[in-house]
Amino acid sequence: MSVGTAAAHDRGDRFRGILAVGPAVLVVVLVVGTGLVTVVLQSAGLMPLVGQPRLSGAAYAGAADELLDATVLSLVIAGASTLVAAGVGLGAAILLVASPRGRRLLAAIGSAPIPVPHLVGAASVGLLLMDGGLLARWLGIAPDAWPALVAGHWPTAVVVEYAWKESAFVALVVTAALATRIAGYHDTAAVLGADRWARFRHVTLPLATPALVAASAITFVYTLGSYEVAWLLGPVYPEPLPVMAYRVFTSTDLSARPEAMAVAAVTTTLSLASVLVALAWLRRTAVWR
Amino acid sequence: MRLRSRSRTPRPPRPRRASLLLALAAPVLAACAAPAATTADTDRPWSAIAEEARGQTVSLWMWGGDPQGNAYVDDVLAPAAAELGVTLRRVPVADTGDAVNRVLAERQAGRTDGDVDLVWVNGDNFRTGRQADAWLCGWTDALPNLALTDPEDPLLLSDFGVPVDGCEAPWHKAQFTLVYDASRVPDPPTTLEGVLQWAEDNPGRFTYPAPPDFTGSVFVRQVLYSVAGGPGQVPATYDQAAYDELAPQLWQRLRDLAPSLWRGGATYPRDVAALDRLFAQGQVDMTMTYGPATLTELVEQGTFPPSTRVLTLEEGTVGNASFLAIPATTADSAGAMVVADLALSPEQQAAKADPATWGQFTVLDLERLSPPERRRFAELPESAVVPPYAELSRGADPELAADWVGPLDDGWRRDVLAATR
Repeated sequence: MSVGTAAAHDRGDRFRGILAVGPAVLVVVLVVGTGLVTVVLQSAGLMPLVGQPRLSGAAYAGAADELLDATVLSLVIAGASTLVAAGVGLGAAILLVASPRGRRLLAAIGSAPIPVPHLVGAASVGLLLMDGGLLARWLGIAPDAWPALVAGHWPTAVVVEYAWKESAFVALVVTAALATRIAGYHDTAAVLGADRWARFRHVTLPLATPALVAASAITFVYTLGSYEVAWLLGPVYPEPLPVMAYRVFTSTDLSARPEAMAVAAVTTTLSLASVLVALAWLRRTAVWR
Repeated sequence: MRLRSRSRTPRPPRPRRASLLLALAAPVLAACAAPAATTADTDRPWSAIAEEARGQTVSLWMWGGDPQGNAYVDDVLAPAAAELGVTLRRVPVADTGDAVNRVLAERQAGRTDGDVDLVWVNGDNFRTGRQADAWLCGWTDALPNLALTDPEDPLLLSDFGVPVDGCEAPWHKAQFTLVYDASRVPDPPTTLEGVLQWAEDNPGRFTYPAPPDFTGSVFVRQVLYSVAGGPGQVPATYDQAAYDELAPQLWQRLRDLAPSLWRGGATYPRDVAALDRLFAQGQVDMTMTYGPATLTELVEQGTFPPSTRVLTLEEGTVGNASFLAIPATTADSAGAMVVADLALSPEQQAAKADPATWGQFTVLDLERLSPPERRRFAELPESAVVPPYAELSRGADPELAADWVGPLDDGWRRDVLAATR
């Protein structure tokens, strides 16, 4: 085969690839793009429900005092949930891959939380952890003496719910990344004289890292932008960004709409930024190249 | 109207995303400017409207969290509408605001065959719709049964200070009511200031839902009346000077109260359903509701203790009425008007007032009814828990204008919730 035909072949492949993902990309750009443009236009006062369009940053300024609190809380919830989920998920994946016996049972138990909707998970965690809830009754602790896990100052129940659900997700992704390759590398390393700890450091961790980073990034962004768990299990104040956006959006005062859109715009920016950070990190991991 | 008080269990969260997305997407698909206001064509005689309504399907969007209200519409109102040739379909929503948002989105998209034909609405949601000219107006005078209401009744003339102007037909009345457990509060206070004092003497045994919850919001307005020295001291229409003068006293009173509340006022129940749960679990000794008639069933079911009693205040409590409104985007306005008229008939009003059915107070003026019709209301069963409406509504306070609600809710968040943490 000559060089020219190989290049043409290459171009043909690329063209086919673009053609294949094109429709999906188009739909995503249309749907997400439309929403984003609307959010930005409304937050900048260019698409009011009542009154004349006028460019202004008033919506951002108007929400500013609560916006900072909401951002900090959102980052705390997303960060804590992701950390716990990544730790538990990685541990579970390593256990799964390392123990051939009982693997099916472990896998079944581990992936059980995945099909449970977050809403159901949140309701269950609420019933379990709230004062006067199941756990308090089992332990025989009066509601007054029970710590405020649900709707208390710290978003404990919110983090517990996200960590529980997302650790199963992380475990699933990391297990899939490890399962196919780890046995061969492990054997090779063992033959070359690597002990258990060295195999973990130099084989298991590098193999798991890209999947772990990707799964953690998805968890972080999801937790940052999701609404229902924090609404159900968090306190009325402070509230994370999505809850604040919805509360302001449904305010009966239509002139508050731009503020809701400003909160939504901030949430989107944060999510995009965290995705970029995760991608940059992924590119630096050895396996990616 | 969001009579959330009547839900028995904490409500599941709402499917908000759909309406949010719709509201986000709609403006992009249509021109930015909303179409002009619509006035109903009511020059025709009622018989012509009733004739046009035959065969129409009316979608009634209403808060779906109240099983009794749902059952009333499905089992009593809808069959009666079917006899008039109108198919009544109940569309449950988690929040009346969702229905209003739907109408606003349809209006921005320029639709004239919208999915919403009738909305159970009241107060700030009604004002929101008026702000955007989303309601059909000037049609209620055509309803024959409207003649059975008192044309001078202030509760029916304005809805939270927004003139009704024929943009919505009255449906029933509500009365803000405090509720207590008589076995734990043997000597109940008789004024609102007394209630606050009682809460301070009994730390941790009282709280109120966080505004903008409908019931929590009215509690704050009730405290505002109390702090100001009565409803007469607060101008009904929003007045910045009055707000600047009165609000600091109100926030001070509520901040002083906060340490004595449940969980030391560090947090509040998110909505009245959460407060009801605390009351049912015995964590607090008082709850509050905008729909006291349903207490009877809550006690019968064992959700609330048998010693549950209504706390009547010497100075009266806030009362209001809720309404049925027709969006300007509907294609079935004749059918919607027939349903609104049917809902005002003495038979429907009496059936709805029966606590076994729904227990909502009538908007009709009993003086205007025929003796047999009046007897139906007189024969309604009495409750051991809830006194009759005449006693409950004695000295009823007027609602403040809806313009007050937003600033008070925001101010409460800023100056009480955030400040006492």
